[in-house]
Amino acid sequence: MRGDPLRFGPGIDPAAPLARANPAAKLAVSLVLSVALLLTVDVVTAGTALVLEIAALPWCGLSPGALARRAWVLPAGAVPAAWAAAFLGTDSGATLLVLGPLTLTEGSAQAGAAVALRILAVGLPGVVLLSTTDPTALADSLAQNLHLPHRFVLAGLAGLSMFGILAEEGQTLRLARRARGLGGGGPLSRLRSLFGVVFALLVVSLRRATVLATAMEARGFGASPHRTWARPSPFTRSDTAFCLGGLALALLATAAGTATGSWHMVLS
Amino acid sequence: MPPHEQDTRTTGSDETPIEPGGGRNGLSLGLPWGLAPGHAATIAAGILLGIAVRAVGLPDTWELFGTSGDVLTTPVALLIALGTISVTGAVTARSPWRVVDLVVAAVIGVAGGLFLWGIATSWNALTTPLSFYPPASAGLAGLWLVPGVLGGLILRRPGAALFCELMAAVLEAVLGNQWGFSTVYYGVVEGLGAEFVLALLLYRGFGLLPAMLSGAGAGVSLALLDLAIWYPTFSASYRTAYIGLAILSGAVIAGVGSWALTRALARVGVLAPLASGAAAERV
Amino acid sequence: MTAPDGAAPDGAAPDGAAPDGAACDSAACDSAACDGAACGGPSRGVRIRAEGWGWRHNGRLAWAVRGLDLTVPAGRCVLLLGPSGSGKSTLLSGLAGLLDPGNHSAPGHEPQGNPAQGSTAQGSTAQGSTARGSTAQGNGEQEGELLVDGVPARRARTAAVAGHRARTGLLLQDPTAQTVLSRCGDDVAFGLENHAVPREEIWPRVTAALNRVAFPYGREHATSHLSGGERQRLALAGVLVLRPGLLLLDEPTAMLDPQGADLLREEVGAVLRDGDITCVIVEHRVDRWRDLADDVVVLGPSGGVQTTGPVEEVFSRAGRRLREQGVWIPDPGLVPVPVPAPEPERAPEPLLLVRDLQVGRPRERPVLSGVELEICSGTALCLLGPNGSGKSTLALALAGLSAPLGGQIEATPALTRGLRRTAPHRWRPLDLLTRIGTVFQNPLHQFVATSVAEEPAVGLRLLGVNGEEIEQRVGRLLTRLRLDHLSRAHPYTLSGGEQRRLSVATALATRPSVLVLDEPTFGQDARTWKELVELFGELLGAGHALVVATHDLPLVRALDAVGRVRTRTLGP
Repeated sequence: MRGDPLRFGPGIDPAAPLARANPAAKLAVSLVLSVALLLTVDVVTAGTALVLEIAALPWCGLSPGALARRAWVLPAGAVPAAWAAAFLGTDSGATLLVLGPLTLTEGSAQAGAAVALRILAVGLPGVVLLSTTDPTALADSLAQNLHLPHRFVLAGLAGLSMFGILAEEGQTLRLARRARGLGGGGPLSRLRSLFGVVFALLVVSLRRATVLATAMEARGFGASPHRTWARPSPFTRSDTAFCLGGLALALLATAAGTATGSWHMVLS
Repeated sequence: MPPHEQDTRTTGSDETPIEPGGGRNGLSLGLPWGLAPGHAATIAAGILLGIAVRAVGLPDTWELFGTSGDVLTTPVALLIALGTISVTGAVTARSPWRVVDLVVAAVIGVAGGLFLWGIATSWNALTTPLSFYPPASAGLAGLWLVPGVLGGLILRRPGAALFCELMAAVLEAVLGNQWGFSTVYYGVVEGLGAEFVLALLLYRGFGLLPAMLSGAGAGVSLALLDLAIWYPTFSASYRTAYIGLAILSGAVIAGVGSWALTRALARVGVLAPLASGAAAERV
Repeated sequence: MTAPDGAAPDGAAPDGAAPDGAACDSAACDSAACDGAACGGPSRGVRIRAEGWGWRHNGRLAWAVRGLDLTVPAGRCVLLLGPSGSGKSTLLSGLAGLLDPGNHSAPGHEPQGNPAQGSTAQGSTAQGSTARGSTAQGNGEQEGELLVDGVPARRARTAAVAGHRARTGLLLQDPTAQTVLSRCGDDVAFGLENHAVPREEIWPRVTAALNRVAFPYGREHATSHLSGGERQRLALAGVLVLRPGLLLLDEPTAMLDPQGADLLREEVGAVLRDGDITCVIVEHRVDRWRDLADDVVVLGPSGGVQTTGPVEEVFSRAGRRLREQGVWIPDPGLVPVPVPAPEPERAPEPLLLVRDLQVGRPRERPVLSGVELEICSGTALCLLGPNGSGKSTLALALAGLSAPLGGQIEATPALTRGLRRTAPHRWRPLDLLTRIGTVFQNPLHQFVATSVAEEPAVGLRLLGVNGEEIEQRVGRLLTRLRLDHLSRAHPYTLSGGEQRRLSVATALATRPSVLVLDEPTFGQDARTWKELVELFGELLGAGHALVVATHDLPLVRALDAVGRVRTRTLGP
């Protein structure tokens, strides 16, 4: 099992200009960008946004290696989706290629490109901004800046800190199945064994959760609606500037899309 | 340990440990599910208003996104009636979140996030064999909905399904998947879908049928979001098939699956500190 | 591994403990001895009083505790003993104010929202969603009264939180299950935040608390990198930083290695010496705590107090009976001495040969390298060493469960019995069953069936043994391990000792030639411990090879008394 994926891996610099922004600001930027991009399926808007996002990457605190490790899933998702849209989507315009029942037309090829660019442009800010955000800082920000109910936020954070232990338990459970002679047969018996591991993991985690709840309650958690915060979560002027930058990026991309007439509302 | 034969198989008649709401005020009118008269009246009013809207019809002079009002009559009527019921359900579910509920919900969210992340990384492999018929991938959609429905069934608290599904989705996004930040929207929408159904049942039903309905509700919301965001080019027949398959998948995989899982967990005794465990048989 | 002390398992005295000369009796060493920042005027000790107290958990027919009458004066340290299932942990939870009877009983249900001075009225419904409503549904049913300084324990807790200080502090058994946050400093600060202590006070107090437990790392250190003993000391710091007047310890060292346990004991000892604090300790291994305790309270198997009095008096009066109930009594005359097993009929022959072995996590630096071992039939190989020294990792590799990073583990023909491959990690799971069995540290990890009787039968079924014989073999095994009366229970619902015995039974059912055990005696009471030693003796006599990764030196000595033993101490 690889190490705890919730910790900053190598190649991530949490002190980079955009990485050290307040998590609430990162959240706002991710939100704005994804809404702007999900509203439309077109090459120009998604392409413009993607170019601008890539231009902002040097300030995000991810080395190329770390970026590749975090973001490889994006092309992995974009390519099959583009393929499906290009060959299986609605056909229009001149036919470019016919492979049995699959047809590639000008219209569908453009749709495929748009789908792929959109996945990349929507995914990239999320991957980059989340990978430089410390969960504790995120929780502090959610509770102090966004004023979400602190009991839920802190319980969520405590649950997250169990993540590494759960991953380890899952590994031990897999080994234990082998020791019991299980999981060796065909795919069906492997699947059954996997179900067993998932169930056992759930049981073990729920027990841990109960003990953790006792420990938290014994230290005064949940007994009073008032609490103080040991770590301040300041929302500074540069955070505001960052939010405005994100908004500008979204507007610029949308403007480019509408100006070229390729902006195309999804919901109509 | 004997099997829990009396465990609820049917809808709303589930026996939660909540005593009749009337009892608290000394005014037990024998209303079902411990509803106070005021709340029952609110629900009745909401349903009546919905029926009234449906009967009168919305004016066709009024437009929303280019759709004229009369087409929207039925959806609006349903929204009013169902909305009132579910909001009343959330308000009257007299079960505050205790610390153990919060932490268990968080851990279900974390375990669910790990699960969803596993699904996400194998999603292409899972759906590629299904690409002969594009809407077929909705048949697996129920997998995404398990954390929310499971959380709702285990915790029996208003908001539990939403919290668990959202937490799982956030973790899935943090671990990294191909959908990035939009995963969080999915968490919210799927969670709300599952939550909405449980609220409609006034948080009094947690048996097999409510579980399936909750899964189906989450399935509808997931399908609608999917179609809007990722498959805007689908034809009408594809859309219908997609929604139908998502409902079926949600009801079977998320609904039946979570229900069976909850029962198995209760049998093992780990749910004893929780509402779902307290409702189980004493050992 | 980052334990500050040497690697010797039979613990050289750990440094970092307060030198004995500095210790003073609690009366002379009041607040004057502590400077304001370090412990800021210790709380006064708390009085405890139980009057006919009883508690039944939700979903249970039986009462966990019933008819308990008990008084503990302020400032005393009490060792709480009793057979497993006598409700010791329930009593501690009750004292910590964590048991919530809801509307079952409790004439005066407390408001959750604003527990400040006396505003008890109906204010409880208007506190917003986080604390809405009374706790209609508690976590059990209560009878009688449990008072902390004359106030019902649960109300005492909420009042204390509202007053920005804690009255009670609770330390639990499992070190990994009570770390709340992912950085050490944040974890200690968690309790202060909940008690609404102002931010400028928080960090000085956190630093002082970490120093007080001789914590070796700074505030920014990640909790996920801590060993069990370090986690437990961190949890202790998180409790002490709240300056409780009552310290509750629920088997705090049961899951620690001897070094970690000794360090924790030293820290608790220092706390007891320099503060007027009441303390209740639940622990099987009495020897570690007897010097600290003033009194012993023994709970009876069916509820209520069985015996109480000063430590040495109770042990001399009721020691034998306590031992029978599974309490570890340190008196040499009472240490369980198992009967030596007969010499094995056949001479030991090698089964597994280990050469230049490296083990560890895949793609990481090996935790152990250059291991040379020979595992022989009829012989126990004990792997010793502190936490993090790689005992468990090595055991998993020897069990054929994980692949070595380098070197090799080779099974001799006596073990392969016709298999083509000699490396156990390349065998099919099915082939392992009759060759190498494994007993995991946490029994829950290896249960796969839904009933006790079905659990050992799983492996036999996979091997194709016929139904009648399965029934016979399982029956014999369960009777031997005193589990026959539980055959229909779900394995997860058993007590700790029962789970341990069942996990051994599952591994033994298929009669593997080699049995690998990871900390088999962890957290077990004296009775289960003795049974395990006797069973291991029998297995050695029957020619099985045992590999035991353990911290438990008495276990190694006892095994030595019953059979052929070799030990191997691993460095950190």
